[in-house]
Order: sequence, then C-alpha cells, then structure tokens
Amino acid sequence: MSQVHDPDSRVEDHSWREGGYDPITFSVILNRLNSIATEMTLALERSAWTSILALSRDFSCALYDAVPRQIAMFDALPIHTTSMQLVVAEIASSFEGDINDGDVFLCNDPYSMNTHVGDLVTAAPVFVDEQLSFWSVTKGHQMDTGAFVPSSVTASALNIWQEGIQIPPLKLVERGAIRRDVWRLYLANLRYAELLEGDLWAQLGSIERGRQRLLELCAEYGRSPVLRYVEAILDYSDRRTAQEILAMPDGEYVGEGWVDSDGVDTEHIPVRAKVTVAGDRITIDYTGSGPQAKGGANATYAVALAAGAVPILYYISPDIPHNHGCIKHIDVVAPEGTICNATHPAATSCATVVPGDLMQDVVNRAMVSAVPDLVCAGSTRCGNIPQFAGERDETGRPWGFMMFCNAGAQGASRDNDGWPLWSSQAGLGGLKSQPIEQLELLYPVQIEQAEIESESMGYGQWIGGPGTRVKVTPLSGDMVCITFGDGCANPPHGALGGTPAIGGGQWVENEKTGHRRFVSASGNVRIDGEVEAWVGVSTGGGGYGNPLDRPAEKVCADVRDGLISRATAAEVFGVALSNEVNPVVDEPATRKRREALRTVERPIVEPTVPNAATWVTKNMRAGDEYLLNPLI
Amino acid sequence: VTYRIGVDIGGTFTDFTVVGDDGQILVWKEDSTPRDPVAAIATGLEAVADQLGHDVQSLLASTELFVHGTTIATNTVIQRNGPRLGLLCTEGFRDVLYFRDGFKPHRFDIHYPHPGTFVERWLRVGIPERVNRTGDVLRPLDEDAVRNAAAYFSDHDVEAVAVAFLWSMMRPDHELRAAEILRTLNPDIPVVCSHSVLPEIREWQRTSATVLSAYVLPRIGRYLRNLEQELGVRGLKRPPLIMQINGGCARVDEILERPVAILASGPAAAPAAALHYAQAIGGSAVGADAVNVITIDMGGTSLDVCVIRDGRPTMSRDIFVEEQPIGIQAVECHSIGAGGGSIAWIDDGGALRVGPRSAGADPGPCAYGRGGSEPTVTDANVVLGYLQPDAFLGGRRQLRFDLAEAAIDEHVGRPLGLETVAAAAGIVRVVNANMASAIRAMSVERGIDPRGFTLICGGGAGGLHAVQLARELGIGSVFVPAEAGAFCAFGMIVTDVRHDHVAAHHLVTSSAEIELLNRRLADLERHALRQLTEEGFADEDVVLELSVDARYPGQVHEITVPFSAQTPLHVSDLREIERRFHEEHQLQFAYRRDELPVECLHWRVTGIGRIAQTKERPSVEGGHDAPTIRTVSAYSLEDGELTETAAYRIDDLRPGAAVRGPAIVQVPTTTVVIGRRDVLRLGGDGNLTVDVAAPVSGTIPTAGAVLA
Repeated sequence: MSQVHDPDSRVEDHSWREGGYDPITFSVILNRLNSIATEMTLALERSAWTSILALSRDFSCALYDAVPRQIAMFDALPIHTTSMQLVVAEIASSFEGDINDGDVFLCNDPYSMNTHVGDLVTAAPVFVDEQLSFWSVTKGHQMDTGAFVPSSVTASALNIWQEGIQIPPLKLVERGAIRRDVWRLYLANLRYAELLEGDLWAQLGSIERGRQRLLELCAEYGRSPVLRYVEAILDYSDRRTAQEILAMPDGEYVGEGWVDSDGVDTEHIPVRAKVTVAGDRITIDYTGSGPQAKGGANATYAVALAAGAVPILYYISPDIPHNHGCIKHIDVVAPEGTICNATHPAATSCATVVPGDLMQDVVNRAMVSAVPDLVCAGSTRCGNIPQFAGERDETGRPWGFMMFCNAGAQGASRDNDGWPLWSSQAGLGGLKSQPIEQLELLYPVQIEQAEIESESMGYGQWIGGPGTRVKVTPLSGDMVCITFGDGCANPPHGALGGTPAIGGGQWVENEKTGHRRFVSASGNVRIDGEVEAWVGVSTGGGGYGNPLDRPAEKVCADVRDGLISRATAAEVFGVALSNEVNPVVDEPATRKRREALRTVERPIVEPTVPNAATWVTKNMRAGDEYLLNPLI
Repeated sequence: VTYRIGVDIGGTFTDFTVVGDDGQILVWKEDSTPRDPVAAIATGLEAVADQLGHDVQSLLASTELFVHGTTIATNTVIQRNGPRLGLLCTEGFRDVLYFRDGFKPHRFDIHYPHPGTFVERWLRVGIPERVNRTGDVLRPLDEDAVRNAAAYFSDHDVEAVAVAFLWSMMRPDHELRAAEILRTLNPDIPVVCSHSVLPEIREWQRTSATVLSAYVLPRIGRYLRNLEQELGVRGLKRPPLIMQINGGCARVDEILERPVAILASGPAAAPAAALHYAQAIGGSAVGADAVNVITIDMGGTSLDVCVIRDGRPTMSRDIFVEEQPIGIQAVECHSIGAGGGSIAWIDDGGALRVGPRSAGADPGPCAYGRGGSEPTVTDANVVLGYLQPDAFLGGRRQLRFDLAEAAIDEHVGRPLGLETVAAAAGIVRVVNANMASAIRAMSVERGIDPRGFTLICGGGAGGLHAVQLARELGIGSVFVPAEAGAFCAFGMIVTDVRHDHVAAHHLVTSSAEIELLNRRLADLERHALRQLTEEGFADEDVVLELSVDARYPGQVHEITVPFSAQTPLHVSDLREIERRFHEEHQLQFAYRRDELPVECLHWRVTGIGRIAQTKERPSVEGGHDAPTIRTVSAYSLEDGELTETAAYRIDDLRPGAAVRGPAIVQVPTTTVVIGRRDVLRLGGDGNLTVDVAAPVSGTIPTAGAVLA
C-alpha cells in the first residue's frame, strides 16, 4: 500500500535474522505503537457523545498481539489497562475458530473477565497476511446499562440482573457488516440510547483507526519483522521492570484498610493485602479480606489483578512501557467469594473503585516500610462523584451525567503535595472534570459553588491535595442522585507521620427549612426540585511525612491561601505566624514549638482502626439525619 | 527602494530579514540582549542599514512594513517573573485556575508536581454576582464587594487585575461594571476582562487567557510602546506590527487588548513563510491547487512542526504555555526537544535515546570544544562527515571532530557494542524517528496522510535531517528555502494582518431559521471590515474567512469547519457545512453519520488584511557549469559505512543545476544531505528542491548488534 516504503527491503535487512535486533528499528516501532494508541484515544475522546467519555475520559485504548498480550496502551485508566488482556483472551476463546477479518466483538460481562458492567469492551481482530496478528481494543465506561436506577454504577444492586444488560462476548460486526438486530437489542436496553449509540460509534471509530494503523505499520515493515520487534519491546519492558523490582527489598509486607459499606447494611469490611517481594517478582495476596458484599461493592478478578498491580507500576520508572513484559512480573491472589473477587451472581458494578481503590491503598499501606520513597499516602476513593439524573421539563426526556468536579484529592508522596480532583485510584488522575459552564449548558442544573474545602486534607511534610465543596441545584423538577463511592467513614490514610484526610461526605439540604439529610458514601436519594440542593464535601488526600518537617514558609502560604487555619499551623505544624492577611513566620517561636511537638511519636500509617472519620459527627446539626445506603 | 523588515527576537539571536521591493533579501543575526531587547534591535538595524548603504533613519524612512516577533511575553510566563496579580471571579468559584480540568498528566508519575497558578489564592476574590447560560442575571453584581476588592488589591501591592466571571461572554455587563469601578479606584492598575480576551464557553480556558494577559500586560505594554516610539523617532512612518500566535500580525493597540495573543507566537510565522513559497513548490496559497505542506524548523534545542493542508495551517484552541491554557485560536505547532544540541543517552533498559535534554548553546555540543562532554546530534553529524569541521557557520566556528568522536564512543558506542560510526548513525536514526513521530502527531494522528505533502525545512539543523525524514514518512519532495536559517523572521514579513472574531449562535442544520444567524454574521463581518479599513487596507486587500465550530447533535466536542458560502447564507448553504463536517469527521475519527444533521455553536470570521507579495527575487548569478567538487568522507545510508562523498558549496552551482546524491550541499545557513538516488535542484530564486527517492533494498544500515 505504501509506494515509498518497500517492505521487502526491511525483511531482507540485517541482524534480526541472526537472532539480534537493530536497536534503532526497535525505537522506531516502539514509537509507532505508542503513537497508534494515542491516536485511538484522541479519536474516541474528541468524537464521543457523553461527557463521561468526551470530557472525563473514562476509557482506555490498547493494542494486543494474537496471544493476546498487551503490546501498547495509551496512558489512560490504569484499572483498565493493567488487566484488559484478560477480557480479550475471553473473547478470543469464546469465538475460537470463528474470528474473521472485519469482525468486531463486544463484552461488558464482569464474569467474562471484564472489570464491571459499566465498562464496555469493543475489540477488533487485526488480520495481516490473512493471519490474526493483533487486537485493537477500547474499553469505555457507559453512562447507562439499563439498571434499576439511572446509573451504570450502583452500590445498591443486589445481583448482576439489577445492574442492567449483561453482555458476554458477542459479535457486533460480522466480516464488516453490522448485525443490526444485535445493535438494536443493545440500545433497546439503555436509557439515553441516542447518546450511547454515539459513544458506541466513537469506540468503533477508535478501534478501526487502530486497525488501519497496524495494517500500515505491517505494510511498511512486514508482518514478521513487526512481530519480532514486538517481542523485543516486551523483553525491554521485562528487563527494566525486573531491574527495578530487584532493587526493592525482598520480604513480606502487610496492609489493611476498610471499605465503608457493602452498599446495603454491613459497614467497615476489611481489605487485607500481603505483598511478597521475591527477586524480580511481586505477589499481592488479598487472602483474609472480608466476605463478598451484598451490594455492588465487589471486585472482579480483572479489577483485583489491576488494583494489586497499579501501585507497583508507579513504584517503577514511569518511563517503562506498560506492556505484557512489565505486567507479568506481578501476580495477584484473590480468593473467590471475598469482596476482592466475588462469585456469580454477585453485583460488581462498583468494582473498579469500590473496593478497587482501597485494594490499591492497602498495597501502599503494606509497602510503606519497604519503599517509603515510592508510596503514595491514601487518596480519595471515588467519594462524591455523583450521577445525577432527571427528566427535562420541556420534553420529559431523561437526562443524566456523572459529575467529576466534586472529586476528592490525591494523597501526598515524597517531594510532592497531592493533586486536587484526583477522583479515583482507578484513574490515577486521568479522569477529567467537566467545566462548570459545559455542565450548565448540557444539563438542567446550576452549580452554586465549586471550591477548595479548607482543612480537608491530611497534614504532613507534604500535604494531601485539598478536597472540594460543590453545591448543585436542579432546574428541571426533581433529580435523583446516585453515589457509589467509599472512604468517607474510613478516610485516606496518612503515611510516615502524615495525618489522615477528613473523609468528607454529602447531604441534601432543604433551603427553606435548613433540614439536611446526610448520606453515606454510597446511596440513592431524590432531590426535590422546588426546595432542595445537593452539597458534597469531598475529602482531601492523606499527608506524607512529619508535619513538623514542612518548611515554615510553605505552612505560612497554606494559611495565607486558606488551605489551613492558623490554629492548625500552630498545633499540627508547629508554625507561629504574624496576624496579617499575608503573614510572616515568627522564627524563634516556631523553633520552640517544633522542638516541643517533636517529642510526640507519629505512626507510620494512620488510622489503624476502622471508622476513624469524624467529619459527619462534627458537621451534623440538631435535627439533621444520617442515612446509610438509602434507596429512592 | 522600499523595504520590509522582520525582526524576531529569540533566546540566543535576534534575527533580521529585510526584503527590498527589488526582491533582494538580506538576512542578519544579532546577539540578543535579554535585559534590554531594544538594544539588539538598534544595533542590528545599524548593521543592516550599513549593508544596504543606508543609515538607520533613511532605512526606516523607506520601510513600508515593520513586523516584530518577541518572546518577552513568553519569557515572562516561563520565568514567572511578572507582576503580582489579583483576580475577581464569581463568588464560589475562586479555584477555577487551580482545579484546571481535573486532569493530572503523566499517570504513573505520582510525584509529578501541580503546575500552580499565576494568581495566588489569597488574591483571588469571589464577588457575589451570577449570570446563567442564557445570559440572564440570577444575582446582580455586588458593587460594594468590588470596591472592597479594589482597596484590598491596592493595599497588597497588586500590579494588574484580571476579571473573569462565569458566563460573561453571554452578558458582559458585570465584568464591564466591575472593571469600571476598579479603574476608577485604582487608576494605575491595569484591568483585563475575560469577555474581551476570549468570549467563549469553558471557564478555565477563559480565565487562564485573561490572567495570562494581565500577567504580561505591564511589561509588554511598556516594551511595545517604547519600541513604537523609538522606531518612530528613528524614522519609521507606519507603526510596527506585532506577530500573533494566530499566524497573523496586528497593531500594538490591538495586542494590548488581548496580550495572550503574542504568547508563543514565534513559530506561528512558519505557515506564512511556507505559503510564500507556494508557487515555488508548484501550487498556490489558496484555491483548488492550494498547497499541502509540512514545515519543520530545527534549531539547537527544539524542533517545531506545523502542518498546512489546502493552504490552511492546522489551528487549535488547546495550546498551553507553561502548562497553562491560552484558549485562543492558534497556529498549532508541535514542538519536541530534538535539535542539534539534543543529548544521546542509553536508558537502563539498554535502549538508545536522544533528547529531550539539550546541551543548549552553552556548553553546546562536544564538537564546539566548550566543555560539553555528552554526545549530541550535532556531534553525530560531525562524526558522520555531514558537518565539515572547517565549514560550520560559513567557517566562523571550527568544530572538534576528536571530541565528538570520543563522546559518542564513550556514551553510546561502547555500551551498545557499536563502532563509533554505527553509533553516530544510530543517534541520527533515533532523532529522526523522534522527529517523524512529531510529524505523525501533527498529521497521521489527525487523520492527515503526509504522503503527497511537501516538507519545507528551516532552521540551522533542518537540512541535515529533512531528506531522510521525508523518506521515513513517505514524503517525496523537500524544499529548502534560501532563507532557511531565518525561516520565521522571514515568515513575519510575508504574513498578513489577521483578526479573529467569534459569535456564539446555536443552529441545527435541519432548521431553516437562518435570519438571526445572518444578522450575527453581518455584524461580525462589518466589525472585521471596519477594523481593517481603519488600519488602512483597501477593500481589494481584505479577505474574510468564515468557519463554524460544529458537531453532531449531542456530541460534546466540536470540529472547526471552514466554509466558502457567501453571506447572507441561504438554507442550501447549510448543505455545504454538513458535507464538509461529515468529511472532516470521517477523516479525524474514522466514522461519519450522514443520517444526522449538524449542530453549530461558534461562528468565526477571520479578517485578513493582505500584505502584498514581495517581488520575486532576481535570478541568482554566478556559479560554474563545472563546479568545484570536494570529496569528503561521509556516512552512506545505503552502504552503512563512510564513503567518499561529493560536497558542494551552493555558490559554486548555477541556477538550474541538478545534483544527484549521495552528496552534501552547503548553504550559508544550513547543510543539506541527500542520499544515493535523491536529486537536488537549485532554483533560479536560490531555493533548493529535493526529489526524495523511495528506499530500496538494504537502505537500513546494518547495526549488527543486539540490545545491550
């Protein structure tokens, strides 16, 4: 197809035949594969219909070989890209002998090695020289699955049938022809079918783009040289990953944390990880974690594998390509029937974030003594990321969106304060929040406030990112609010002397009476369009290191900028300040205070007990009520 | 003789390009004087005037066009040494700048720091007021709160203020009134409003554009006013024009209304330069045979890539400076750390990498002999024989072959088990691969196939790599302008005056209601015309270009689609918009939905004041029918080893001469390397074109090594 590049010239070329690789061609092909995944990502993001894909970027694009092993991914959502090979393998084995050029497969079934029902996988086999050689794959979070509430993520579903349409591996396109009956069946099961049809097109466009580019690459270099260099690329990641893990101290490390609730009535469910570093391998074993939840707060194995592996991926150099060569160094054990690996027909729609986020955090808790310079303090676990829905006054048609501008923050790490609007460990900061004006333009809501919440983060030598306070008023009658997060009662942990963050929470406020209904991290509530508003105060991230080691000048700026109070500066950070709006540090007084405070020993991880957050009790007024996992 | 002068201030050099109406071109480089940039302009003008047989006064008196590009604004932002800013925003939304879009780049680098903001939080003041999406006032402006803020700002030595309220582009009243109060109370503190800088939806981008404008305004205000005055005193009659990031230039007054427009504007002149050569490369700047061009400008530290399709540069509204969005419509220029000074290294997985770290100008490549010890791309080009040690910068700088060789050996050759020459060839191939990726990012990743494009190369290092790069991308033709060394400074004097106007108007193409739209378009066009008329452009030199930001109904992002219909639009003209949209959508996203109408949001009118084309340069004289050919030992891509290679000096060639590769052709400001079956031609105008041969069997050098 290329007039200029002559594939034969490349095939006839040199050393790889003798068992070696030309290091330069290696770099070129590595670059090209990454560039293909980038192009797929841009095409999907720019052409999607729902804000969760187009503005929040809740999707991932990756390439696999025929095995299937991951060979390239765009730096998207780690909870997707670290275990997506499992569902591709499931698709491949379901259709063994019936995979043809021009086919496209769908799957969202959590028990077919998908993450959770909200994540729809579209996969196109790529045939080169009439042989199945690659898979071009995207996984995108669908705003709706036709569940019993208008959300694809709901903690209150009691089994998979309440979570909406379940799609085991299925052929949507057969040798280039769309199966219209299947297409209609899928859309008939969804709210917002017009928007979700657009999203499906965007995912199909993305994998088609990936397929075209892989074909072009093979036309230029020839199929077998490309495959040979893919091996070299996997080896390269393998080698670099091995080196980094070898540098970590061998041993067994344990961590524990608690999921706020099972989505129904059980609270503070333990998640335990034993991390074993042995040579160039790491095993994360979730044995000992609590039994599977009644509601949707269960992990699937695809989530367990990714959640265990993701922290390891950020301990090693971010420059190492995250392909099979890298991922294969990490094993995850998650006993069936536990919250970390539920069995059919348990609901799992929250899996990627609850308990997925905590499953990442407990690895950090475990590894804090092994690799203190590499761990992250606790981060928000998808708390206060509500899905709002309702009907438009003028047409009665349903509207809905998942809102990310109230997301909590990232925990601190060595040399870095946390980022705000971190959303979830599942995305590691890769989820975007929608502009206020876009939200108000697209949906019948008004955002009354979206600002930093003072004193919401954990303190330390490095402080967690700040949480946010957001107030939303419905403009088109009543609206419902579905939340599915975690970490309000069991807040993000502080590390190495850092303190935990607040945990935060949400309430529905009657603006006439002032009465407030506080809602646990997950729950479904109706907001009266006449008199009520929704307010979310999300948590900051946990702190890292002893607060007494934070430079006094930084503490001074934190006070000046309203991140912390003067009292906290004095009591926690030991910093005395003058009284101006733009204060100066009182050096002698600070020295003295810090010496006195230094005698207090600080724990390596905090908290070490469940239900440690005090935010709700501190903030509830007389007459307010607290609802655990309410149903509409 | 009358002149046009382009002056482009860069970090190292201030470039001058002077074109006479007789077609003569003079290119001059003066050392930049960062403390007082006008000093370098003054010295440079003297040098230039002298060479043209003028004094500065008479040169400027006969200058009809003076275009200036400056990095002062960009440097202020990069170095973060601008004034202390205050920001007024809607109460409840003080953290728009800090929150950004909630996106943290570099997923797996948890230590990556937040980029911060340009207004500290204690100086961001929320004002009770609120307008909604339809422009209705939900809460009136609290004027007392604005007065208090004015006092607060003046008490705390704020030097400039940005005002950015939610939805102000739908109803600017609150911003206007707040600015009025601020100016009355603090007459010495400049105020910039978001509705005038960027009247578009998306509060982060709009606030950021406004804040960056306020941040650079005091400094560039003083600088540009001073420059204007100094040039006036020295005899310049028409006020100077300033280069903008939208690829056109504008008067100082207009720049100071929207200072963000000059951030990162240097490379934005590349498309203008490229279009100037449209005829020379066998097409035209506009119309059916409008050219398809990719420009590369490769200097010491970076490579800038622009793409021009059908005569139009790729524009973007997602440009960042110092990780802050500028929001306005800009020439998209992809920049990567790949220049002559880029350093080659082996990563801990044993892969050869080049850049983004650069040896810069100091110490520079090892071959400069100024203390550099890490091998660079320039060192590789020296070892490969492409850069002749005694011919660099026209012989002004002697290069040290031995130092280049030793560094490559130590840092690349030995670790990879490669001979020095193979290692140097590897460095060049890797940097070429990086450059090819940058070009793919601008083309293939946007659905644009670069084959069939012409590659125009500028910058001192461009010619060394351009032909090989073209081959890698399947591009058949490379163009090396005579002004390659001062590509963007040249672009500035051939670019047009350009103003972008935008109006928000919602329309679905299935509707027939276009009267209100026509009124809005007429307003925009009238405004654009008046502005250009006031600037002295005759009607026949004014061009209005129309485009619309469109999407399928329900989609979130838009594509900007140009259309050619004449106003007032008829319903049938909407079919053209639909057609163009479907095509563009297919191209970019690999699918189209013809069954759907198209939803239009922002309508754009770009007013262009055409600057007359310069005369063709007189034919190059001199040269020889049988030019002197030196032979040098240079690396052959085909043979994978050093071979005797012909080296030419451009002055020795006659116009029309053709050189068959392999060869090295030295042009005063760059060196062009061509391979075995490539053919280079010298045009009558001094420009070079290269027909790039397709690769044949065995073109990849045998590196003969396994990864370390």
